Amino acid sequence: MSDAPPNEPRWRRYLRFWRSDPAADVSDELRFHLESRIAENLAAGMSAVDARSAAAERFGDVGAVERSLASLTRERETVERRVAWRQVVLQDFRYAVRQLARNPGFTAVAVLTLALGIGANTAIFSAVYSVLLRPLPYAHADRLVEVREGTGPSDSYGMAVTMGNYDTWQRRSPQFAALAAYTYASFTLTGAGTPQELLAFAATSDYWRTHFIPPVLGRYFGPAEDQPGAPRVVVLSYALWSNTFASDPHIAGRTIVLSGKPYTVIGVAPNEYAFTASAPQLWVPLALTPAERAEHTDHELTVVGLVRDGVTMPNAVRQLTAVQRELAHDYPRGGIDGSIIAHPLRDSVVGRVRTMMLVLFAAVGLVLLIACGNVMNLLLARAAVRRKEVAIRSALGAGRRRLVAQLLTESVLLAALGGGTGIAVAAVGLRALIRVSPDSVPRLMDATLNGPVLSFAAAVSLVCGIVFGVWPALRATRLDLQQSLREGSRDATRVARGSMRTLLVIAEVSLALVLLVGAGLLVRSAIALQRVPPGFDPHGLLVADVALPASRYPTDTSLTAAFERISAAVQSIPGASSVALVNRIPIRDFGMDCAVWRDGTNTSDPASMSANARVATGNYFATMKTPLVRGRTFAAADIDGAYPVVVINQALAHRLFGDADPIGRRVAQCPSGTPTWHEVVGVVADVHARGLDDSPPNEVYYPLGRLRTRGMSLVVRTSVPPASLAPAVRRAVAGVDPELAVSGVATMDEIIARSMATPHFTTTLLVLLGLTGLVLAAVGIYGIIAYFVSQRAHEIGVRMALGASRRGVSLMVLRQGLALAGAGVAIGLVASAAATRALAGLIYGVSTHDPATFLGVTGVLLVVAALASLVPAHRATRLDPLEALRGG
Amino acid sequence: MATESVALLQGTLDVIVLKTLSWGPMHGFGIARWIQQTTDDALRVEEGSLYPALYRMENRGWVRSQWRMTDNNRRAKYYGLTASGRRQLEAQCSSWSAFSLAMSRIMDATRQPA
Repeated sequence: MSDAPPNEPRWRRYLRFWRSDPAADVSDELRFHLESRIAENLAAGMSAVDARSAAAERFGDVGAVERSLASLTRERETVERRVAWRQVVLQDFRYAVRQLARNPGFTAVAVLTLALGIGANTAIFSAVYSVLLRPLPYAHADRLVEVREGTGPSDSYGMAVTMGNYDTWQRRSPQFAALAAYTYASFTLTGAGTPQELLAFAATSDYWRTHFIPPVLGRYFGPAEDQPGAPRVVVLSYALWSNTFASDPHIAGRTIVLSGKPYTVIGVAPNEYAFTASAPQLWVPLALTPAERAEHTDHELTVVGLVRDGVTMPNAVRQLTAVQRELAHDYPRGGIDGSIIAHPLRDSVVGRVRTMMLVLFAAVGLVLLIACGNVMNLLLARAAVRRKEVAIRSALGAGRRRLVAQLLTESVLLAALGGGTGIAVAAVGLRALIRVSPDSVPRLMDATLNGPVLSFAAAVSLVCGIVFGVWPALRATRLDLQQSLREGSRDATRVARGSMRTLLVIAEVSLALVLLVGAGLLVRSAIALQRVPPGFDPHGLLVADVALPASRYPTDTSLTAAFERISAAVQSIPGASSVALVNRIPIRDFGMDCAVWRDGTNTSDPASMSANARVATGNYFATMKTPLVRGRTFAAADIDGAYPVVVINQALAHRLFGDADPIGRRVAQCPSGTPTWHEVVGVVADVHARGLDDSPPNEVYYPLGRLRTRGMSLVVRTSVPPASLAPAVRRAVAGVDPELAVSGVATMDEIIARSMATPHFTTTLLVLLGLTGLVLAAVGIYGIIAYFVSQRAHEIGVRMALGASRRGVSLMVLRQGLALAGAGVAIGLVASAAATRALAGLIYGVSTHDPATFLGVTGVLLVVAALASLVPAHRATRLDPLEALRGG
Repeated sequence: MATESVALLQGTLDVIVLKTLSWGPMHGFGIARWIQQTTDDALRVEEGSLYPALYRMENRGWVRSQWRMTDNNRRAKYYGLTASGRRQLEAQCSSWSAFSLAMSRIMDATRQPA
């Protein structure tokens, strides 16, 4: 009797050599049972028919049993497959660990390269996350929008909001759950240690709904306290509370003196409010008066809206624009065109730093690509070496998929090691980054390696592991078995030309070039900035701010007299050669905005100039060493206000009067009220007052005493190092009035350095990244050329045996390196020309296609490529021809 | 099925199979025959139901199967106890003994309930 049923071909059973056939097994097993039973029944003397039916009866429903067994088998197979898969992974993992451990040199180089790339990326991403992506600390931060008033079609920044327009908005904007306004104010705190000048926000009560974080202590002010005539209350910042009031837990309810007036402390805001350099030290109610609510020309308020739930931000802005159009129509002198400029609050906070962060992020991404290129190159080199191993495993029955999976496990493990080490690199790098970052970059100081950042690092590592692993794995397993087993390492004829490894190195060089061109442009821009003459001599200048509170100096005369006494006291300090006063320090502070009209026209003349107004003493220009070009500066008679005079700068003189002599001509200021005419008595040189990277603005200088100013800055020209006079200046001011606060003490050099801190930060980082890219690319070139030499040792031996000179051989190798670099440079130049456009907003005084930078960087890269090829070239000339020919 | 045959309790089949295999590896038919002989055919197990029980126990890791040649030179699937199967048998044995002792005390009782 045949074991196989008639309908099954016999050969099918042999399939089980390769894989088990559960269905066949089940039917075999059951058939064996039934046949055995039939045989027994026959032996007991039954007829064939009876024997069969008795066996079947005893067995039960064969079909049902078979179905039940099939399902049990499937269940088992699922479990087995899962176990087998786990075993394969574990096996691959163990094998990968062994492989990497067996080649410590390779592993170390690859892991360190990756750690550098992933670490740098993680550190920068952590900064990007903290600055750009992290939500603001306020409740409902995603529904906060900053709104400004548009002035024209080309205006993307807008103006601060007038009190009257804000009032109208607030009354007519149901789409906002809260609409807050605040403006800067400053107070002198006395009666708590040395007098301090404090930055405050005068805010509406809605501020605590838009910018809400629960108070540390006490409460915030509400609508009842945000009224003119309401009792004065103040909220302290965490820093002020802990530094000046020693974290007094009973501070709420205490009275403090601000600019001579008593204020009741009602609460302390948490430290989370202090995420920008311009965070206030205290908050007081804005308490708009009816007169202020009717004021539609003075743009002073920062306005932030909390969009109501269910209203989209564009819709909210559209409704506000409708109101704004009416306002523009009703108040034509407001300088607005009826448009609204709105940005999510987070974007407003981040502001100009955004481009810089994105450029850095892109740059660090390029570094990672170069690093991956190098590791991929290493893996490809190893793939060549491991051909034999792969061939043996393949001959022993490992399928290609299995081999690729194994090799990928290795590269992913490598990437994981690189990522792990990279996180350590990132921790160190991030700490350094925070230490050197200027405070102009908001929210960077509390960047950490948190969950999102670590997930980013893990994702980057995994993607890297797969990206640089797939090609080498496919490459290593695509092979001609026989050839590899015969060990023909003689495929040396397939040299560097056109192979994947060559392409990789070319790509690396071009990426490095893009990085270096970017870094080069920033360096050139920094040099250009350094060369900009600011319009004054910043060396040997000390600056200090003094504010005179209204409670002690109520009249203009008392103010002027006090400032004169302070100047005289400072002037008497040994080492102070000249002391002047100005209300706003150029570069550090913007001037007051005003419009200026020329005489000979009436005030309806549209040819007004917008200018910066500053109030200064007559000796200000001499002290700053800003040249007086024409006329005179202020004299004592001007200060008394007998006859209104101004000094203007060259830019404004030229724009108003062309080449004509402006001395004796008259200009009018501020169109809102009746025009006040001033005679121009002098013209001074232009000053880069808005920063060295900005063109000099139009300037109008008023003599001290013409415009009431309570806060002035002392400008001290010193004959000794300026910083050394700081204590003496404080003492001199205290000698005049011990209740006065001296703040903002700094040298002018420091102020200029601070103004360029962000560009310097960006430049330094980009240069670091560029150099890293350069080193990595050099390593890549070195690797491929060394490989080239080792592969062509035989050929080089032949050449030398035939009489080629060492020089010739070395030139041949060098040419290879330069050819690669040249190709990379060519591609890189084209890519750079496109990529550097992103830098347009970050560089000053150089074109994004600056030929000097492009040429210089090309030169640097070619020299480095030559140096990287020189080592293997030298080694090539040291080859013993005989040895090379024999060993081949 | 004969009326005098005993209906099998749920889970009892497992113990019987494990006990059968404790003498050594055996194929399904062998197990059926052993049960038949040992119980004088009183326990008329529907033989088909042996197999799902065997497969289930194999999935649980109590028995292990292997194709082998019989004495008559035929291919048959043999089942053998694994270590965990043996432990399972021991555990079941003691609880069965306790159960059957209790049952027989009840069945043999002579006193009526108080």
